[in-house]
Amino acid sequence: MLWQYVPIAILLVLSTALAVLIVLLDALLGPRKPTFRKLSPYESGMVPIGPGMRRQPVRFYLIAMLFLLFDVEVIFLLPWAVTFRKLGLFGLVEMLVFIAILLVGYIYAWKKGALEWE
Amino acid sequence: MAQPTVAAPDLAARFPEMVTPDTRKGYSGYIVKAEALLDFAKALKEEFGYDYLSSVTGVDYLPQGLMEVVYHAYKITGGPPLVFKVQVPRDNPVVPSVTSIWPGANFQEREAWDLLGIRFEGHPNLKRILLWEGFWGHPLRKDWREPYYEGEHKPFKSRTAGPHFWHEDHNPFGKNVDYPPGFDPYTWEPETADQILYESVIQRTRKPEQEELHSEQVVVNLGPQHPSTHGVFRMIATLDGETVVALEPVMGYLHRNHEKIGERNTWIMNIPYTDRLDYITAMSNNFGYVLAVEKLMGLEPPERAQYLRVIMAELTRIVNHLWAIGFLLNDLGAFFTPALYAIEERELILDVFEAASGSRMMNNYMRFGGVVRDIPEDAWDMLVKLVHDRLPRKIDELDRFLTHNELIKSRTQGVGVLTPEQAIALSTSGPVLRASGVPYDVRRAEPYGIYDRFDFDVAVRYHGDVYDRYLIRLDEARQSLRILQQAVRDIPERGAPILAGKPQYQVRVPAGEAYGRVEGPKGELGFYVVSTGKANPWRYHVRAPSFINLTALEAMSIGNKVADLVVILGSIDIVLGEVDR
Amino acid sequence: MDTTLLLEWTIKAVILIFILLTGFAYLTLMERKVLARIQVRLGPNRAGPYGLLQPVADGIKLLFKESIIPAKADKVIFVLAPLITVIPALVINAVLPWGRTVTVFGRQVSLYVANINVALLYVMAIASIAVYGVTLAGWSSNNKYALLGGLRSAAQMISYELALGLSLLGPVLLAGSLSLVDIVEAQRRMWYIVYQPLAAVIFFITSVAELNRAPFDLPEAEQELTAGYHTEYSGMKFALFYMAEYVKMITVSALFAVLFLGGYLGPFESQYPWLGPIYLVLKILVGLYVLIWLRATLPRFRYDQLMRLGWKVLFPLALLNVVVTAVIVVLMG
Repeated sequence: MLWQYVPIAILLVLSTALAVLIVLLDALLGPRKPTFRKLSPYESGMVPIGPGMRRQPVRFYLIAMLFLLFDVEVIFLLPWAVTFRKLGLFGLVEMLVFIAILLVGYIYAWKKGALEWE
Repeated sequence: MAQPTVAAPDLAARFPEMVTPDTRKGYSGYIVKAEALLDFAKALKEEFGYDYLSSVTGVDYLPQGLMEVVYHAYKITGGPPLVFKVQVPRDNPVVPSVTSIWPGANFQEREAWDLLGIRFEGHPNLKRILLWEGFWGHPLRKDWREPYYEGEHKPFKSRTAGPHFWHEDHNPFGKNVDYPPGFDPYTWEPETADQILYESVIQRTRKPEQEELHSEQVVVNLGPQHPSTHGVFRMIATLDGETVVALEPVMGYLHRNHEKIGERNTWIMNIPYTDRLDYITAMSNNFGYVLAVEKLMGLEPPERAQYLRVIMAELTRIVNHLWAIGFLLNDLGAFFTPALYAIEERELILDVFEAASGSRMMNNYMRFGGVVRDIPEDAWDMLVKLVHDRLPRKIDELDRFLTHNELIKSRTQGVGVLTPEQAIALSTSGPVLRASGVPYDVRRAEPYGIYDRFDFDVAVRYHGDVYDRYLIRLDEARQSLRILQQAVRDIPERGAPILAGKPQYQVRVPAGEAYGRVEGPKGELGFYVVSTGKANPWRYHVRAPSFINLTALEAMSIGNKVADLVVILGSIDIVLGEVDR
Repeated sequence: MDTTLLLEWTIKAVILIFILLTGFAYLTLMERKVLARIQVRLGPNRAGPYGLLQPVADGIKLLFKESIIPAKADKVIFVLAPLITVIPALVINAVLPWGRTVTVFGRQVSLYVANINVALLYVMAIASIAVYGVTLAGWSSNNKYALLGGLRSAAQMISYELALGLSLLGPVLLAGSLSLVDIVEAQRRMWYIVYQPLAAVIFFITSVAELNRAPFDLPEAEQELTAGYHTEYSGMKFALFYMAEYVKMITVSALFAVLFLGGYLGPFESQYPWLGPIYLVLKILVGLYVLIWLRATLPRFRYDQLMRLGWKVLFPLALLNVVVTAVIVVLMG
């Protein structure tokens, strides 16, 4: 029933219009007096050395991977939760098996130190 | 107070030829030959137990053509200082560095190099510290003249006698500054000084070889324009991820050459000037300075003045510790609530200060031989109520709110640890030293004023982490209240004299040297003054506790997270007015 | 589908945006006032009576401020980032039920913009988009503080999203629906905070983390990162980030009310449906007050502590809660 989403589409269009309008107003109304110092990156008032965009610790990447794995599983649990009453005991056992598998992965990640932030 | 006598060991006999007692009139201690300094220092530390080097500074004796380095060493168990000096020719002042024996000399030797041009051989990082790398000359030398130079001593003739004129007219802009040879201010690229600074940081941190897959180490500036460096302090941190692998403190953004100005001032003009050092604790600064000068003058303040001084100094300690705790919590990310609770009490104490001295912060309250004014009657009642009722209650309240907060504990316990050995070696003082388990308090170790009469404990904590540095401030505030309660009880009746002799605009200070030190709220605040019998001090040196405690910052920070960095800095409790002077 | 329906939807969308923006403006005032009272201060009291015009003054000021785009920034992404942050924050509110159906001008009007059968999934999906805005803002600024703040924020948000998603499962299991209207209606007998206290606590903690509010405000940790991912932003572009944060505060309080506090339900609501929005607003205000209160009293976590809490405490707890709830539901039939 896609028509349910029409109001959301309307809201999306209106919010986007509003946000763009605000940015445009900002560009129109504010003064514009750029100077070299003003446009340089802020680093406590000193000239930064090296670029601001640079390689970052691999930790962040690892967290993203873990998130992908577990979030897919959480999403999988949602439809189950909705139809849970219809599935009854069968659904419960199935899901317990599923969560057990998920837990194995979680414990593995924990043991491997993937959850440490050192 | 009498000058403390020289310690028992006969060092002149131990080092014949090399060490001689300082026999100049008004002076004490020993004069050590430069080549014997390291042996002498080693012997002092290892054989005689002078393990705490409090102060290192230089004096420029221009008429004699000498540059003198003055050291004040103490035993950490207490007692008077051992003063020793090294004299070197003024045109080539080279002294061996004692950083290998007392690492705490690090910043102080850099300061002496920066301001007086004394080179310390063997110093690991002998760079300018308060002035910028491109500065020309060493301003504390007596023959160095600043732009818009007006005269050697205040009061300046151009302002007091004859037709008044603007000194700028005689010394127009553009001709008022000496540049290094070959320096053109109009083509000079200002990044160079930063580059010098960064190079040393990068060289010290770069690993010799790096693995294939690595995260880059990032050099990040925290400060000078930063919300949490307590002013214009700057830390150049090298980060591996979020972990600090190297740290270089950079200071001097608020430098105004306090000591040079102090040497131009007359003796009494320096009293209000000390207020501007650590502007949170002006009363304490006054106390240290008048103590040093009174030692030279041989003055003893009357009883009531002594008590008033103690009351003011201890109130200042409470003010400072409340402030420090409040802003430490801010550094932890608490949004101003603890700070404002603390400041509420501080305001009440400042009311007392205002009633007594006329000013809330820049008190200018003490004089040589006493204090300037008595506390008015109503302010006294306020004070008694504060001391007996409100402050104890509010300090307990702060304790209750903060001490057992899980977040505070997890953020501070085990963070920024300083071992007792490090704390002594790095010459830290005050709460930083005592939180590391060293019960050293000048009020006990070498009592000044009337502190020997009071019953109080030297607060001490043993873990040396940020949490203990927080707790110790609460402990000390409570001890201060104990002292205050006794002082309020025992003080002589109103009407007793509060100043020895009569008020003077100009004081005569006999020639000699003196080192007056007090246990300021932030640590040992020392004033080393040299008089030649004139109206102005020949040398006026401040041993600033905030500045010297920063020597330990790097040792505390390595291996901690960048978020802890600001917390550790907050736990040292610095005030830039004092660090940069 | 007819034009009246389209018009009704549009009007509702406009009203929703209006409410959210006004709510945002006065939430900033409320925050400053509450913070001030907690901190023995008065708070803004100069612009208008009780400072009521303060948000207006702030808005006008920001509108006329110079908006700086740093020279070395990635300009397109730099401008897009606040948009990407603020649009989802507004759109997410489409599924919020403010009440049941009321009669306006003889027409039956339901008090929500959209009632879709996967509303909770929608909320989770849209909420995730906000991570992009923050990360891109940090990345495009070409600033070390901003980048670190942006990355921290991304890692923090995705870490807490797991436990957040799991804590939503409790109410869903009980109500048997993903629709927020159904979840509210299922609470007629008893609020879910009674049946699902653990889920409620986890939901609250994780959503504070998603909001980047104290004590989880590491991405904008003022003390070490000056302002984190929006260090380089100024003018209205900065205001958009600010707006996103405060609108999300309202959303989170509303969601908490809907999921655990019976949403628009309250005494006499069944007779007088127009009481529904009032009850919801009251519940939202309580939630907002708690959020502000937290900010006024708690210091900040450190990053490693934050990640440990998310992965090692909240995630397993939320999982446990799902299993226990499921077992109990089956046992009770």
